[in-house]
Amino acid sequence: MPPPLFEIDKLQVAVEDKQIVNGLSLTLRPGEVHAIMGPNGSGKSTLANSLMGHPRYTITGGDIRLQGESVVEMPPDERARAGLFLAFQYPTDIPGVSMINFLRRAISARRGEEIPVREYRQLLNEVLGRLQMDEQFVRRYVNDGFSGGEKKRAEILQLGLLQPLVAVMDETDSGLDIDALRIVSEGINTFHSDDNAILLITHYQRILRYVQPDHVHVLIDGQIVESGDASLAERLERDGYEPFMERTKAEVLSS
Amino acid sequence: MTQATMDAESAGRPDADLKPDDLRAQVSALSRSNSEPDWLLAFRLASLEQALGMEWWTGQEESWRRTPRERLPRRARVGQVRGPADGSANGTAAIVPSHVFAPDAHAGLVQQYDGRLVASDLEEQAATEGVIIMPLSTAAREHPALIQEWLGAVGPPQDRYDAYGRALWTQGVFVYAPRGVVVNEPLFYLVTQDATAGDHWHYTLVVAERESQLSLIDGGDADDRRVELDETPLLHASVELIAEDGSNLRFASVQRWHRQTAAISTTRARVGRDASVHVTTAAFGADLDKQRIDLDFSQSGGYGEIRGLFVGDGNQHIEHITRQHHQGVGATSDLLIRGVLTDESQAVQYGLIRIEPEGQQTNAHQTMRNLLLDDGAGADPIPMLEIEADDVKCSHAAAVGPVDPDQLFYLQARGIPPSVAERMVVRGFLSEIADGVPDEHMRDVIDELVEIQLEPAGATT
Repeated sequence: MPPPLFEIDKLQVAVEDKQIVNGLSLTLRPGEVHAIMGPNGSGKSTLANSLMGHPRYTITGGDIRLQGESVVEMPPDERARAGLFLAFQYPTDIPGVSMINFLRRAISARRGEEIPVREYRQLLNEVLGRLQMDEQFVRRYVNDGFSGGEKKRAEILQLGLLQPLVAVMDETDSGLDIDALRIVSEGINTFHSDDNAILLITHYQRILRYVQPDHVHVLIDGQIVESGDASLAERLERDGYEPFMERTKAEVLSS
Repeated sequence: MTQATMDAESAGRPDADLKPDDLRAQVSALSRSNSEPDWLLAFRLASLEQALGMEWWTGQEESWRRTPRERLPRRARVGQVRGPADGSANGTAAIVPSHVFAPDAHAGLVQQYDGRLVASDLEEQAATEGVIIMPLSTAAREHPALIQEWLGAVGPPQDRYDAYGRALWTQGVFVYAPRGVVVNEPLFYLVTQDATAGDHWHYTLVVAERESQLSLIDGGDADDRRVELDETPLLHASVELIAEDGSNLRFASVQRWHRQTAAISTTRARVGRDASVHVTTAAFGADLDKQRIDLDFSQSGGYGEIRGLFVGDGNQHIEHITRQHHQGVGATSDLLIRGVLTDESQAVQYGLIRIEPEGQQTNAHQTMRNLLLDDGAGADPIPMLEIEADDVKCSHAAAVGPVDPDQLFYLQARGIPPSVAERMVVRGFLSEIADGVPDEHMRDVIDELVEIQLEPAGATT
C-alpha cells in the first residue's frame, strides 16, 4: 500500500468558540477518491474551509498532513503551493481582477516560477476546451457576474490548471444542471490520476454517479459515523441520513 | 513683476493676504506681461474684487467643515512664471517633461512648466477643422471672441479661492471643438510644477460646441519631489467645462503634486441638452487635496458622470466635495468615488444631489467606497440628497471598510501570498474607475502611480 498522501488526524475545528468538527480522521492515498456525505449542518463546509486554512476557522486539536508534513501552521497560500486545493462551494467574486491575470499568477505561484506566456496560452486553451468554455471567459473578472454553473466550471478550470496533489471539492455539484454536472465531473475525472487524491464533500449522491468514489464516509455532527465503499452512497440515497442521525442521538443519550 | 519683494513680504505670515492695492497692481502687471487684451485684465480685476469681498470660510459650511483648514494657506500670491527671459536657476532642468505623463497618440498637446510653454502641437486634421488647444493667455489674443464668450460662463466664483483663481492665474489652457467636430484621440494638458517656486494658480477652459466630441487629459506633476520645503505651497486649479447641446466632453485629471502641497481644485461642468460630460480625477500627490466638482444640468436630457480615484498614504487628506445639480428635465448623473487609504491618511467625500422642482424625471446616483488598509486610516463618505421634484430616481451608497477577507482567502487558496493578494484586490477595486479614462497610456500611468503609492513609505520617489 502506498504511503498516505493526505491525512486528517483527529481533527477538531471551532468557529467562534463553537466546536463543529469533533475529532475527525481520514486517510487518502494516491489515486483514491473519497466522498464525505452529510446532511446540512453536519460540518461539511467547516471541514473543507479549515483544511485550506480559512482564518475564520480555528483548529483546536488534531493534525492535517500533506505527504507526511503537517500543514496546520501554514497559511492558506503555502498550503496551496504545497499542493492542496479547495474547490469552493461559493466562489468569491473579485471585481477588477481578470481571470486571465489571476490564473497566471496562481499557476506561477504553484510552480514556484513564472509560467511562460506561450505555454500559459496553450495550457489555458486546452483546459478551457475540455470544459467547453469559451476563450472569452477568462477576460472576465474573477467570478464576477458568473452564473452558478460558470462559477463551478471556473473552479474546475483552476483544478485542471494548478494540478494539485489533493483536491477538496466542497459541494461542487450543487446548483448544476445535468449537462453542467456531466462536464464538471468529466473535468474532475480528467484531472484524477494515480498521483493525486480527491475528497468530494457533498450532500447528494448524484455527482458520485459520474465520479466513482473508492470510499464513502458519512459525516454527522462533525464526526465520521460510518465508512464504506460506493454502495454506502446508494444506501444513503435510499434511506437518507435519518438512520445515522438517530443512531448518533441514541449513542449520545446512552453515554 | 516684483516677485522677490512680494515673497519677502509675505514670508513668515503665510496666512496674510497682500494689501489689496498691491494685489491689484500685481494682477495688472501680470496681465500686461502676457500682452492680454483689456477685457481680460478687466475680468481679472473684477474677479479680484469679488475675492476681496469674500470670506475664506467660516468653518460652518458643509464644504469646509471637515477640512483640516490649518493645513491650507489662506493667501493670494501671484505665482512665478519662469520664462526663458527671467534666467531663473531651474530654468534649464525645467524643460525636461515628466516621463510619467509623456503621452503616446494624441490629437494635440500643451505642456507647461511653471507657466512657461514647453511644448505644444495639434494634429493637422484637427487644426483644419478648427480645434484649438493653446495656453489660455495666447487664446485670449488669438480667439478673443471665444474666450470672452465662455470664460467664467459656468457661473460666479464659488468661494475666495475660486475667485482668486480667476484673477491670479499664471498658467492655463483653452481647449475647443467647433460644432460637429469629433476629435478621436485625446488632447493633453501637462503641467509640471517646481514646488520650490511657491504658489500656483491654474485655469482650464474647455468648450465643446454642439454635437462635437473631445477628450482632455490633464496631468499635473511636481518637479523636485524629494525636496523638503519650508512652507506649504498652495496650488489652485479652476476648471470650466462647457458641453453644448448634444456634445460629448471627457475630462480626466491625474495629479501627483509635491507631498507638501496644498491642492484645491474647482471643476464645474455645464451640461447642455442631451450632452454628456465625463469627469474623472485621480489623486496621488499633495499633503491636502481638496477637489470640488460640480455638474450642472439646466437643460433637458444630458448625462454627466464623476469618477474619482485616489490612493492616500502617510498623513494625506483627500477630499471630494461634489454636487450633481439638476434643473433640467430627464437628465442622468452618476458619481462613483473609490479610494484606498493607507498609513494615517484620511478621506472625506461630501456628495450632494440637488434636484430643483423643475428637474422631473431625473436619474441621479452616487456611490462612494473607501478601502482602509491600515488601522490609522479613515474615511468619511457623506452622500446628501436634496430633492424638490416628485418624479425622480435617486440612489446613494457609501462604504468604508477593510479589504474583504473572503477575497483575500480566495486568492491565497490559490497560492498567492497575502501581500500580493491584497495588491490585486486593491488594484481591481480601483480599476473600475481607471478603466474609464479615455486613453490607454494614461490608464497605464494611473496603474503605475497606484503601484508607487502603495509601496511602503520611503520607497516612493
